[in-house]
Amino acid sequence: MEMNEFIANFAEQFEDTDASEFKADTVFKELDEWSSLIALSVIAMVDEEYDVTLKGDDIRSSNTIEDLYNIVKSRA
Amino acid sequence: MAFLKVDNVAIKGIAACVPPSVEENRDIPFYSPEEAKQIVAATGIERRHIAGPDICVSDLCLRAAERLIAELGWEKESIDLLALCTQNPDYRNQPTSFLVHERLGLSESTMCLDFFHGCPGWVTSLSSVSSTLSASGLKRALLLVGDTVSKDQNQASRESRPLFGDGCTATALEFEPGAPAMMFNNGSMSDGGKALILTQGGYRHPYTQETLEIELARRAGALPEDQADDMDGMDVFSFAITKVPKAMKKLAAEYGIDVDSVDHLILHQANKLIVDAIAKRLKMPAEKVPLGLREYGNTTSASIPLTIVSECANDFRTGRQKSLVCGFGTGLSWGSAYFETNHIVVPDVIIYE
Repeated sequence: MEMNEFIANFAEQFEDTDASEFKADTVFKELDEWSSLIALSVIAMVDEEYDVTLKGDDIRSSNTIEDLYNIVKSRA
Repeated sequence: MAFLKVDNVAIKGIAACVPPSVEENRDIPFYSPEEAKQIVAATGIERRHIAGPDICVSDLCLRAAERLIAELGWEKESIDLLALCTQNPDYRNQPTSFLVHERLGLSESTMCLDFFHGCPGWVTSLSSVSSTLSASGLKRALLLVGDTVSKDQNQASRESRPLFGDGCTATALEFEPGAPAMMFNNGSMSDGGKALILTQGGYRHPYTQETLEIELARRAGALPEDQADDMDGMDVFSFAITKVPKAMKKLAAEYGIDVDSVDHLILHQANKLIVDAIAKRLKMPAEKVPLGLREYGNTTSASIPLTIVSECANDFRTGRQKSLVCGFGTGLSWGSAYFETNHIVVPDVIIYE
């Protein structure tokens, strides 16, 4: 799996945030639009695209999109 | 592997009773109007029926059972087994089935049996009750299932308050030689159990004066949300969207069930996000996936039979129906089932008076 594709998939879960705001080092929980509902759609996306099950602790322990990418990559 | 195939038992009717008081999600005070709109759109839940202090599980079960027995024309003496599944018993030690047994005026020769299960409870207890009828010589059973889960709610929780509603159901089962087999797959993922747990007030952690005060504040909505201590929504979500589709596919594979041929996929009404995600993974078209949660929310173990009554009553009254169902949650655990029904009795949803 590849980082840019993961970032694009991640960004697709948001409606209002500009695509340019999503980078590997983006602290996603600080985005205005971040919410518990978007967290769920990220979990669903990761299950569908990568067949990896993310848990609540994975989201809570990640700060940047890259942190999440590394978790998914280690289990893919 | 807990695959169960149950021969010679038929579901003859299903009834549901909800309390009269309703909470509208758009009126929950801590949401802005914009937030409330988003919550309703994502969860699919507009309102929930709330029991309040005076209505308990035995009250709602009694009404559902009375109506169902009357419409079936069953003599009370003919009921061999009264089963009840709840996590919110009226009393701490007397099993709730006996309260309903007394108020229904059932005979001393009726067996009472209680189950303690959360959201998968209708399916898990249905698998046990139908197996008992199939194997024992008993002829008729009433299975009462539901909770008053709102009584346990953290009223300050932005995550769980818009989800849960109260309601109870009655399902009538009969030994019927030649009835199409009912098929079940029950499973347990107990290492995830902490995602849905109330730790205080059982025998592991009996209430002390201090913890009782915290509990009363929690129910009153007077605690900060981070002390909610009752649900890890993200864990429950990932459990539901990954384990449930797999469990249903395993059930279909085990018994050669043609998933495309089922009339309804009836899922535990956790919330619309979860129901949609599971339906998508099973490639089930939306018109076959009823949503009872708009009016009633997540009614835990009652949600599958309540959805049959509120959304599919006409189909079940007027014809043969093939149903694929799955309850999932507390445990963590799941129960999936396939069954066929033929012109069963389904009274309209009863509003408790």
